[in-house]
Amino acid sequence: MSMPLTALWTVPLLGALVCAFLGSKARYGALAFSSAFLALAGGISYLQGSPSALAVLTETGPQWAYGVCYRLSADSLSLGLIGLTAFLNLICVAASWDLKVSAGYWACFLALASALTGVFLARDLFFFYAFWEATLIPMFFIIGLWGSSGRLHAAVKFFLFTFAGSVFMLLALLALVSAHHRVTGVWTWDLGSLDPKTLGAAAPYVFWGLVLGFAVKIPMVPLHTWLPDAHTEAPAAGSVMLAGVMLKMGVYGLLRVAIPLFPDLSVEMYPILGGLAALSTVYGALCAMAQTDLKRLIAYSSIAHLGFCLLGVLSRTSQGLSGGTLQLVNHGLTTGALFLMVGFLYERSHKRGLSDFGDLASRAPYLAFFFGFATLASIGLPGLNGFVGEFMSLSGAMSAPFPIFAFVGCLGVTLAAAYALPAFQVVFWSPAGPDSVSAKVSDLDFRERAILWILCGLMLWIGLAPKPWLAWFEPALRGLVR
Amino acid sequence: MTPPEVMLAVKVLFGAPVAAILFGFFVMRRVKPEWTHLPILASCAAVTAAAACLAAYTTAKHCLELPVWTWAVAGDWGVAFGLRIDGPSSAILAMVAFVGSLIHVYAAAYMKGDKGFARFFLVFHLFFLAMIGLLTANDYLQLYLFWELVGVSSYLLIGFWYHKESARKAALKAFMTNRIGDLGFLIAVLMMIYAYRSTRLQTVYEFMAAKPSIYTSIIALGLVWAAFAKSAQWPLYYWLPDAMEGPTPTSALMHAATMVTAGVFLLIRSWPIISAVDGLPQLIAWTGALTSLGAAIIAGTKKDIKRILAYSTVSHLGLMMLAVGLGELGTAAYHLIVHGFFKAALFLCAGNIAHAFHQSTANVDETGGLRREMPFTYGCFLAAALSLAGAPLFAGFFSKDAILDAAWHHGGGLRVIGMLIAFGSAFYIFRMLFLVFHGDRKEQSRGGRHPHEAGPEFVLPIFALSFGAVVLGHGSIREWVSNLMTYGMRGVPMVLIRLKPYFDLPGEPALPALNWTVSAFGTVLALLGAGAAYYLTMVDSGWDWRWRGGFAEAVFESDFGYKIIVGWGARAVSWTARFTGRVLDKNWWDGLLESSSDVLREAGNALASSAQGRVNDYLWWMLAGSAVLLGRVLR
Repeated sequence: MSMPLTALWTVPLLGALVCAFLGSKARYGALAFSSAFLALAGGISYLQGSPSALAVLTETGPQWAYGVCYRLSADSLSLGLIGLTAFLNLICVAASWDLKVSAGYWACFLALASALTGVFLARDLFFFYAFWEATLIPMFFIIGLWGSSGRLHAAVKFFLFTFAGSVFMLLALLALVSAHHRVTGVWTWDLGSLDPKTLGAAAPYVFWGLVLGFAVKIPMVPLHTWLPDAHTEAPAAGSVMLAGVMLKMGVYGLLRVAIPLFPDLSVEMYPILGGLAALSTVYGALCAMAQTDLKRLIAYSSIAHLGFCLLGVLSRTSQGLSGGTLQLVNHGLTTGALFLMVGFLYERSHKRGLSDFGDLASRAPYLAFFFGFATLASIGLPGLNGFVGEFMSLSGAMSAPFPIFAFVGCLGVTLAAAYALPAFQVVFWSPAGPDSVSAKVSDLDFRERAILWILCGLMLWIGLAPKPWLAWFEPALRGLVR
Repeated sequence: MTPPEVMLAVKVLFGAPVAAILFGFFVMRRVKPEWTHLPILASCAAVTAAAACLAAYTTAKHCLELPVWTWAVAGDWGVAFGLRIDGPSSAILAMVAFVGSLIHVYAAAYMKGDKGFARFFLVFHLFFLAMIGLLTANDYLQLYLFWELVGVSSYLLIGFWYHKESARKAALKAFMTNRIGDLGFLIAVLMMIYAYRSTRLQTVYEFMAAKPSIYTSIIALGLVWAAFAKSAQWPLYYWLPDAMEGPTPTSALMHAATMVTAGVFLLIRSWPIISAVDGLPQLIAWTGALTSLGAAIIAGTKKDIKRILAYSTVSHLGLMMLAVGLGELGTAAYHLIVHGFFKAALFLCAGNIAHAFHQSTANVDETGGLRREMPFTYGCFLAAALSLAGAPLFAGFFSKDAILDAAWHHGGGLRVIGMLIAFGSAFYIFRMLFLVFHGDRKEQSRGGRHPHEAGPEFVLPIFALSFGAVVLGHGSIREWVSNLMTYGMRGVPMVLIRLKPYFDLPGEPALPALNWTVSAFGTVLALLGAGAAYYLTMVDSGWDWRWRGGFAEAVFESDFGYKIIVGWGARAVSWTARFTGRVLDKNWWDGLLESSSDVLREAGNALASSAQGRVNDYLWWMLAGSAVLLGRVLR
């Protein structure tokens, strides 16, 4: 294959088109294309060579008007996140296997995977933005068509919030490109050749425009309120993709665009951004403690977890960057598993309130085991994956200026147990109340167990031996250390 | 011990429990759940043998530091896991392995027929494994890993009978309190990485020797805070008395071997750091002494037999902390080991009684005169109680008097408190003994139940434990422990001035010789305590029921009011969470954002006559506003 990177985003897109015409057989097409996508992503990663000396694959097309140029590139960060996308996409297809949904559902997931892959590959900011916005469309439909009762409101809110953020990002990009043209006389959208110095005094505005666009996506407190609604109403697999990959676009944007373009500004603004990241960890945890809906609770916990990623990445220390990036993967696995299990509960009982259940540990021991396992990973139990990312991010923040952020983050780690375990107890340990739907909840079947074994196995692996995972991302992050 | 034998012992130490847990989880639990304990008991035997080998190895004045695998690397930062087998770890490991294995044997009998038998044994063994890992860690981060694993296992065991609300609450309380303590550990480890770029014990020790700094104080305080949570010291002790909601073998394991001793061990391990901070040892000593005294008083007022023992554990942990704070690490470790034996025996005796009553615990209202029906349990309990009270020539006499001696030499308030603790310990344990095993009181009623002596599978482990509680005071064992503690700090740089008095004394054991004045005082006070207990339970036999009700009971039931303060704290946190989540975030902030888009839409509808759909309106208005902004930026 002469253009492996192009193939990487076109294979799922092709899959989406094929699935759309397959009708009731669409899920087989989705399975085939998702598997092919994962195999392709894995194959390219494997062929890139040893992690310590990752070659950077690049593909460049002809120049178009205004310097727009089809330019893809994949370093270890891109490939890692594409791997995560492909993996979670396949997990989602497997988890949705028995749903009675139309062909469009499967097509939307593949289209989403394709757009996300494009975001992680594009090195031309025009294409970056195009892919970025393209992710909204399938997700809008996934929430709006296959969500639960409040889906329309949630879908519109999701779309508007993230789109509003993207508008600022677009403005920032336009300003950057036109300033570059005004000073140098060259039109280009190439991330590598754009010179932010041409902006002069406008640089902080452009920086904040980019950050705003990314921060809404992450989401960073106080721009987070779209997330709980979107997660709550989305179908389980939609939540998995949303939490597992889409939120990561924001952090990826910081790592790929905002920090490399504005290395000094991102250090200068650390007191504000790092402070908000630290606040996110505590604020997300406190909000999660107050929730009575399982999905809302996990959604708020996502805000807290992404706070750790952000804190690590923004600290711009080697362990913070590594830990924050690994936390992206960790959060995808852990929160993905939790959302899937809530989805399994919802499929069986059509409820997701904490008090709708009870005594599930006796009725569904497998579900209790996996849910407990993922909960422990989510609250950062050492030996499981969540701890690695949180700890290294905090360690990075400790070495950066304002170590107080690290102390606040530690408080967030403590509070995590205060929302996760009571929720676990109410659902799985408390006796079932009179209105409980626990009787409808049968234990996991073989397919569901297989999915969760894979996810939990990865959690344990990363937790006990994070070294190869950190080493994988390290080459792409080396240049970002302050 | 040749090096290959040591390596084999090390491999068995971890390999056996891991293999047993995996085999039990994947095979036995499905095939024959009621046999899940068999591979686990085999693993216990192997672990005990391996621990004995390692103790012999360190007794021969060897230490072992073994790198195992690199956990994580980033930039100049790295954490490598490994094993450190030295005096403190091998001495305490030997006790943990032996006592823990006996409790496993007891648990096999006690839990027979329980629906969750397989689940119980798997988590029980995980608890044991976590403690082994904690004791042999050579790196603070690794120690933290097992420290948390201990916490999670205890959570699952305390909440084992999750249908009981009290068990669920107790489990959560235990985990959350430990989590609050772990905050200190986490900060300490983060600080170590920041200040020393390493969390390896040896490296940290060497840094301490070179130059203590401001970070040292934070690290030491964090570790002490964590130890106070795990070892149930004020202000974080309150989870332990509730933690007896789990099955009795859990309580025995937790109180004697695997959990609460971890905090004392951490302080022994971190002594080079702690001793470098001015005033911190005194703080530990005083906290330990006051916690010990307070818990001893409260133990004398409780009715639930497991709860009496739980407060007794808090009290004895306070004594160990007192010893640590006074720099008597050998004494602390020795008392930790002896305490492991007599407390495990006492808890398992309580388990026999609960089992005879077909309950999870028993109350002094239901007991009385049990020595007739349960003579063997009575004998073991008496031996362990005498050891706890510090009766001469019992093991507890030597270990406790060594601590009292240290307090005596320190002088001042600690001298008095030490003696009061000696009185209080004897009082509460003999009060319990008399109320449970002696007398026929009109206030006590069996409720038609006919308790009977437990079978041999119950009493044999208890016999072994109480035998230990009697004979461990033998001179050779005292010498062995004190020697181990001395060698234990081999490799710790002796240039650390403050360490010198404690560790750099060639040939002199870390345990002081018996001080006859202190022993005489201690024995007399213990006798007085036992005598008071006798008078108030046997002579004036209704006293224990008479004083209750009213203010005095309220004071003791609320732990001198402290439980109320803890309750306020917990309520304040949950109120903050509810306010943040429901009012601040949902109603105010999200409400504001949603209504602002309504305002925008209304404005759009009013202004744009061609407005068709909601989404379009928003977007065009946003674009228009943004264009204005862009114009400003570019100009």
